[in-house]
Amino acid sequence: MKSLALISVVITGWLLLSAVGDFPDWGDPDSPANSYRLSQHFVTETFHETAVPNMVTAVLADYRGYDTMFETVVIFTAGIAIISILRVFRTEDPGAGGPKVYEKRPDLIVDTTCRLMIPIIQLFALYVIAHGHHSPGGGFQGGVIFGASFILIALSRDMQAAHKWVPERRVLNLAGIGILIYAGFGLASMFLGYNFLDYAILHKIIPATPIEARYHSMLGVEIGVAFTVTAIMYSIYSNLASKGTMKEGL
Amino acid sequence: MILNVICIVLVVLGIVFFVGGAVGIVRFPDFYTRMHAAGKGDTMSVFMVLIGLAVYQLSDFNLANLLIAGKIFFITIFIMWASPTSTHALIKAGLEEGQEVWTRKEKTDTEDTP
Repeated sequence: MKSLALISVVITGWLLLSAVGDFPDWGDPDSPANSYRLSQHFVTETFHETAVPNMVTAVLADYRGYDTMFETVVIFTAGIAIISILRVFRTEDPGAGGPKVYEKRPDLIVDTTCRLMIPIIQLFALYVIAHGHHSPGGGFQGGVIFGASFILIALSRDMQAAHKWVPERRVLNLAGIGILIYAGFGLASMFLGYNFLDYAILHKIIPATPIEARYHSMLGVEIGVAFTVTAIMYSIYSNLASKGTMKEGL
Repeated sequence: MILNVICIVLVVLGIVFFVGGAVGIVRFPDFYTRMHAAGKGDTMSVFMVLIGLAVYQLSDFNLANLLIAGKIFFITIFIMWASPTSTHALIKAGLEEGQEVWTRKEKTDTEDTP
């Protein structure tokens, strides 16, 4: 059985490596991806069309908005699937198996460090979300950092302390609201007469020029993404760590 | 020029500490001493390498580079803060979980047996 697996791995690896030779050189200006007019358009026109210096964010949240919206839906669906599989509502002991759950003992050093650190982490997460137009960052990254701060609360004290800030109901609400914010921007531009997620028309309802409307709408959808990612990150952690009981963590 | 020399010295010293930490993780006999090597080596080496990079940024002095050096300095503070705490938490978890503490083998044991 092991030799069979080895043979399949070798064959797959050989196929993949033989395909590497057909790739264009790194940074080759004549490669299909670089010579096609669409990428030229993104490189030269993104700033004039959207006023966003960070091309990646502009492509992700504006030109390719459908894809990002359904990426967010994928994250939401993954979170819902994990909750529906792991969450248990019975009260008796869940029994052996899985990580051992310890009784929480307060620790001065860990507690103090986390108390000092969590506000900074959350501030940095907001910075990453809001500054995604100008520097690497955006809704997904900032949302993960924000979710990690709640996970840190749950790790350093106990899960009940974290649940004071993100109770289960609020987590699910936030996850849904995030997608609704994103889809709301799309629907708003549809009702005003443009295509779904074509933000330029939103200058009719927000005080900005059409170019600035695209800029500000991108920030809006990033915030929506951040809501969903934060909520689902924490929900995945809390379900996995407490074996679905949501009472106490690792 | 002077700044470049300082930067090189700091980064090289940091890498030396890094190697020390890595060797310690592999060679030390038990969990606690390994965590000791990891915690001390990583904190010190990351501190030195990052300060070296911040100094390097300052060799061409203007506001943008000063900002970058400041950001690197904040990362340094963050790591000096987080790394010892995580080492402490891991050691404490190991103690609660009942990891054996390594001691030098008693000479008397081997002498008693014959």
